[in-house]
Amino acid sequence: MSAPARVRLDYPIVQSRLDNGLRVIASPDPGVGSVAVNLWYDVGSRHEQPHRTGFAHLFEHLMFQGSGGVASGEHFGLLQAAGASVNATTWFDRTNYFETLPAGGLDLALWLEADRMASLPAALTRENFENQREVVKEEKRQRYDNVPYGDVMELLISVTFPPDHPYGHTTIGSMADLDAAQLEDVTAFFTRHYLPNNAVISVVGDVPADTALDRVAHYFGDVPAGPVPPPPDQPGLPPISGLPRREKVAEVPSAAVYLTWRLPPVGTRAYDAADLALTVLGTGQSSRLHRTLVRRRELAEQAGASSLGLIGGNSVGFVNGLARDGVSPEQLEEELIAEVTRLGTEGPTDLEVQRAQATFERHWLHELARVDSRADELSGFATLHDDPTLVNRRIDDIAAIGAAEIAEVIAEWFTPEQRATVLYRKEEAR
Amino acid sequence: MTTTADPTGPTNRLPRPDVAPPGPWSFPAAETAELDNGLRVLVHRLSGQHVIAANLILPVPPDAEPREHEGVLAICARTLDEGSRLHDGETFAELMESEGAGLGVEIGPGGLQLVLDVPSTRFSPALGLLAEAATVPAFAAADVDRHVQLRLAEIEQAWANPGQASALAFRRAVYADGTRPTRMTEGEPETVRTVDRDLVAGFHARHVGPRGATLVLAGDFAEDPFALAERHFGGWAVPDQQVVDPVPARPGDRTALIVDRPGAVQADVRLGGFGIDRNDPRWAAAVIGAYAMGGAFLSRLNRVLREERGYSYGVRLGLSPLRRGGTFAVQGSFRTEVTAEALVEARALLRVDDDPFTATEVEEAIAFFAGVSPLRYATADGVVDQAASQVLAGLPTDYVDHNLRRLREVTPEAATEAYRSLVDPDALTLVLAGDAERLTGPLTEAGWPVQRFTR
Repeated sequence: MSAPARVRLDYPIVQSRLDNGLRVIASPDPGVGSVAVNLWYDVGSRHEQPHRTGFAHLFEHLMFQGSGGVASGEHFGLLQAAGASVNATTWFDRTNYFETLPAGGLDLALWLEADRMASLPAALTRENFENQREVVKEEKRQRYDNVPYGDVMELLISVTFPPDHPYGHTTIGSMADLDAAQLEDVTAFFTRHYLPNNAVISVVGDVPADTALDRVAHYFGDVPAGPVPPPPDQPGLPPISGLPRREKVAEVPSAAVYLTWRLPPVGTRAYDAADLALTVLGTGQSSRLHRTLVRRRELAEQAGASSLGLIGGNSVGFVNGLARDGVSPEQLEEELIAEVTRLGTEGPTDLEVQRAQATFERHWLHELARVDSRADELSGFATLHDDPTLVNRRIDDIAAIGAAEIAEVIAEWFTPEQRATVLYRKEEAR
Repeated sequence: MTTTADPTGPTNRLPRPDVAPPGPWSFPAAETAELDNGLRVLVHRLSGQHVIAANLILPVPPDAEPREHEGVLAICARTLDEGSRLHDGETFAELMESEGAGLGVEIGPGGLQLVLDVPSTRFSPALGLLAEAATVPAFAAADVDRHVQLRLAEIEQAWANPGQASALAFRRAVYADGTRPTRMTEGEPETVRTVDRDLVAGFHARHVGPRGATLVLAGDFAEDPFALAERHFGGWAVPDQQVVDPVPARPGDRTALIVDRPGAVQADVRLGGFGIDRNDPRWAAAVIGAYAMGGAFLSRLNRVLREERGYSYGVRLGLSPLRRGGTFAVQGSFRTEVTAEALVEARALLRVDDDPFTATEVEEAIAFFAGVSPLRYATADGVVDQAASQVLAGLPTDYVDHNLRRLREVTPEAATEAYRSLVDPDALTLVLAGDAERLTGPLTEAGWPVQRFTR
């Protein structure tokens, strides 16, 4: 079997840095009509202080409540009226803000982003603050409290990291912490983290690179720099030991088992190898978990594996299954572990690794296909790995990892003894 | 209303820039051909799009199912890629994934689709596998039986999720009693249970064929896509194929229902009714009105219920067109203690008699729809999804451009009129998934005497 041809990527990437430290990336794509503006601020839930959890995310909401020259809600209003898709998200390692709109709206998008970077506290009011705190609580109720398995991330994090670890709490945070938050805490958070020298901006789409760099300099050039807070102190932890475990009886439609592992941080070859191992184990219909547990033995409604790439010392790997009716969670757990053991003993086959690499290739090409997700990857690789040009080489980097290397990483990081378990048991009918 | 900036704080140093009008844009043109067996092929060439999207659209609506075996279409669809006469299921999955391809199926009121994404360098073998799944599936009894069991489990998962539960109850209420759309497209438990291998194979043999089918392809092709379509589908022949037309949906009577979720912290709400489809002369104006009422972030509903009151993470008014007719609904989740209050406020906001849509609202809505199109239709899957939805609804290939022209012509009067002809705030159907004990009293008092919904 000949090695399949790979798509060669060559997206143009022009980089610059303003005097105030703002890192700027331009990637022109003539003819697409739209332009994506994407900012990564190097602040996520891992940067939050104890008893101040949920702050990065609450703050993200407040970034839409106006700034020196912008009224509350007007950021969304002006951009949508210019034909933009607009949003922001908060994650463990970062907060990102983005809009994509017809290229003639680039100046407006940059002006709005610069205005809130420069002057957010000017518009902060108790009323807005309290309103958005309520909105965030509704978000938590909707996405976490009111759906089956909605607390799974919180439970998984709790068995994977110590409570005081930067990754020891979720981005939505504790409602008690949010209730205790004061307006002054929000201003302090802004002053500490929302600095041009703690951010990356990418401009991708139907705008020449020199125009993009020039417009960014025009709008952001006089936003003052400040002292960037040191990254959280989080040396990599060794694999989990002692088989930590949480069990929960809940009103869920099926019993469920989730296993988690600490893995190496993103940006390392070892992480990429672990990610391929998880794909072999649990992504796609030809993966081992689907084939064995869903198809052949009919023990699971679904079974899979995935990775959560993180920059601060460790990433996380997940394996999970939903039990078929009549299958106990203990039995499902045992079977999941048996597959993890088998992968460790036999190692992945060359064909399995090729399939995992081909799956990655499609995923990656898809990720870069649109200007908005391409801009997000550029900002991300600049923020986390200091090199946005890596996006053009990712497919080759992943293709260079072989079965033997994956087997070594499995032996070091992904053995049954290194797992933690979260298990949902079905509540008996009332 | 503007927020006053703190005079001592940093001031905005530069004036707010104007937005230059967007350049001309049109939906990527389709080249079309028809194979001798009747299969229509639509090709959209998209330079630089390295992931090819291919949808095979089969005009097999749920209306083709026997009443007592509803769900046979979904089980048929889901078993197509579980093995063929050429490859057993495990080998088939390995071959597909070795090409880096992802294959899925979608079923809707208009028919069934096989949906393929694959890197452009490996398109031909993946398209060959798609053809194999569609034309010569094996339908092993064990695979069919397993998918029946998985479907039954999936139904329980759906009812356990408040958003899905209220959507399911809403469709039960909004369509005429006893008609097919009141029941799940993928089948209800009592009929899904009856589906077996012979039913699936028979259904496939009768209904799945090239006549009336369309293959939509988009991306940056390395090989001539028409030649590939001919190579992989040219020999497909189903002489006895029966084509069943979808039955137009009909509206149900107004009602108010609650799916009880004891102790739920929020109620998931649908407040809406029966609506129109994209062929209706009011469509463009209704789209603009719905956006102003509940599409934009600063829409009338979201501005008040989220941004002023903090009742919800987000509230929207959506139109869901079918081939003929459609539905519309206000959707949102509200914390239990304010749900009745929020709905009373929503009902008042929905009334536009004394507060018609303004020129600004309409201009902003038009600019939004015109502006998001280049992004939405930049990728192969974006183009193919849209093209496929047009095929299933019987719309022309230049529908997007045509619709954008219609949107640009909408006046505030037309938007208000179309909206009012659809939305009578006092005559809407209300469905909630929430804590019935706590919600029934306040909702009854507010004019919605909600009945407990039973599956």
